[in-house]
Amino acid sequence: MHGRKRKGVAALAVLTIASLAIVASAFARADAGPAATAAPNAGCDSPTIGFQGPITGDAAFIGKEQLGFSQYAIKKLGGGKIKLSQQDTQLDPAQASTTGTKLHADANVLAVVGPAGSQEVLAVAPIYKKGQRLPFISGSATRTSLTNGSIPNFFRVVPNDSVQAPTTAKFLRQVLKAKHVFIVDDQTAYSRPLANGVQANLKAGGVKVTRNSVNQKVTDFSSLVSKIGDDVTHVYLPWQIAANGQIFGQQMKEQGKKAVIFGSDGLDSGDFKIQGAYISAFAPDIRGIKGNAAFIRGYGKKFVSNFGPPMYVATQAAILAIQKACADGDATRAEVQKNLRATLIPKTPLGGNLQFTARGDVKGAKFYIFKLGAGGKKTLVG
Amino acid sequence: MDWDFFVQQLVNGLTLGSVYALIALGYTMVYGILKLLNFAHGEVYMMGAFAGFGVLSLFGGALGVTINVVVLIGLMLAVAMIGTGFLGVAIERFAYRPLRNAPRIAPLISALGVSFFLQSSALLLFGADFRSYETYEYIDLASGIHWGPLNISVVRIAVILTAFALMFGLTLLVARTRLGKAMRATAFDREAAAMQGIDVDRVIVATFFIGSALAGAAGVMVGLVFYKVYHLMGFLAGLKGFTAAVVGGIGSIPGAMLGGLLIGLSEAFITGYVSSTFQDVFVFSILIVLLLVRPSGLLGKADIQKV
Repeated sequence: MHGRKRKGVAALAVLTIASLAIVASAFARADAGPAATAAPNAGCDSPTIGFQGPITGDAAFIGKEQLGFSQYAIKKLGGGKIKLSQQDTQLDPAQASTTGTKLHADANVLAVVGPAGSQEVLAVAPIYKKGQRLPFISGSATRTSLTNGSIPNFFRVVPNDSVQAPTTAKFLRQVLKAKHVFIVDDQTAYSRPLANGVQANLKAGGVKVTRNSVNQKVTDFSSLVSKIGDDVTHVYLPWQIAANGQIFGQQMKEQGKKAVIFGSDGLDSGDFKIQGAYISAFAPDIRGIKGNAAFIRGYGKKFVSNFGPPMYVATQAAILAIQKACADGDATRAEVQKNLRATLIPKTPLGGNLQFTARGDVKGAKFYIFKLGAGGKKTLVG
Repeated sequence: MDWDFFVQQLVNGLTLGSVYALIALGYTMVYGILKLLNFAHGEVYMMGAFAGFGVLSLFGGALGVTINVVVLIGLMLAVAMIGTGFLGVAIERFAYRPLRNAPRIAPLISALGVSFFLQSSALLLFGADFRSYETYEYIDLASGIHWGPLNISVVRIAVILTAFALMFGLTLLVARTRLGKAMRATAFDREAAAMQGIDVDRVIVATFFIGSALAGAAGVMVGLVFYKVYHLMGFLAGLKGFTAAVVGGIGSIPGAMLGGLLIGLSEAFITGYVSSTFQDVFVFSILIVLLLVRPSGLLGKADIQKV
């Protein structure tokens, strides 16, 4: 009896260790970063770009597409020399800080692409500003204040919310003739300022606004949906998790609410496909841009959102800045930042040129508005 | 008073509350018998949701269901309940039984380990993407009860009724059957129950099976009502279920049901009448006050200590 028990326990131990080994090896594959003990000042021996994005967790769809397009840029433009160090942030500022510290400590890392969310950018900014300042380029963080000059080593390839908020409010007022807008933010550093901006713009235009907020982790919105009155013409959701927007939309249908949903760029994904809804997007659908066919074929994978292509452009900018800095065989992060500041990439896959303003914003960027049809099919309407 | 709005929030709260109650039952049953907080219970619920999704995919997926929808949902529930029931038994056998006589902190750490193990396993098996039950593709959400502005979908009605039927069944099982009697005896005094000829190991296995099966059912119900299924979904639901068990009086089966419903209803009414922004702050403040007044929970019994 005791022998059987011991055998059982031994079997359990073997099973657990084997399972943990499988899980650990899988994670190790997903988190394949450079050696943490890289020699200092080895920038051009093994130049590396850090990647930060939500590869797992609630917003994994964003991270996976961003990673896919970053890898595509490295493969296509890196000349086989530049490496990518992937770091998963799970869209969590704490996780972004931890992985950011790792990247900052690695002398081979000359620039970072990411992180995805504004709250994460705020979390890593103090780390990347320390010591040997590490330049970083986000492909999706849109909070306006990120480029107010307080983070001099930050760049982004997408327009900021000072463009998104007025564009959205103007479309709601002038095109959709909104009378009463029900705004729900998701309590994040991305969502709240954007909601505030749209609210202020709408109020200034004489539109009635009801403001609510809900935690991003919540998945039952039915109590909140019940509060949408009959006079509400539009619901504005500046959210990061598209699947939550889909639940909200379905719960509206379930309760017979007729208001039309307008989602921010965070809902620009295949997970959100409420027919008749509108979304704003910081990038055009690259499939609709002439001359992109070969680029898309080269990527070779399916993508459902607009989060990936800007990350290609961010990685492209980082690669060019590093290659230029390494031309003399030696590079520092300061040189890479200087080169980024002078970036000029003509005709990117996003349709225009890429140039940064003195504060790291992209010059001449604009937001696009799409209407969703059956199955989430997008039509450009603004 | 807008009664339609009130009833709508009542239904919203009952739906959420009945799911919390089903999860809380697993916590309370295991605690009642083993005095163990099974922190892996939220992940068992997550696995139940994935099992239901697997059945849905097997029968054509949301966009092409190949069998009768009622049969499909019955199968989803059955597979999820049986699957998670056996998962619970395996967890007990491999993670808790070897530690049964260890200090109480040891099985607690083991429970946390199992929780992370299941989360990571789900990530490995199913990936990080959201899966959606997309109930609206095969059930008309407009069907159900419609009185003026009040709308209660047929899915919500089915979820509430199923949850109450499961709770009623469990109550009967515990109160009227030999197994239930053995469970009560084991919960009261494990050693004395063993001396009376009760196979305590079997009772514990049955407890884990039933508690986990209820969590599996809750997972499918959440998928049907709220669609989204992913590997981290067990954390918050587990936390709410655990809180419900504590508020109701951990170890008390009616207490767990009451606690679950109370939390679900509080969330709905606070969102509806006070603020969605600080929903959790209000809900947990109420619960703290309640526990200050009744530290052993609403229907829990205070431990008598020999001095």
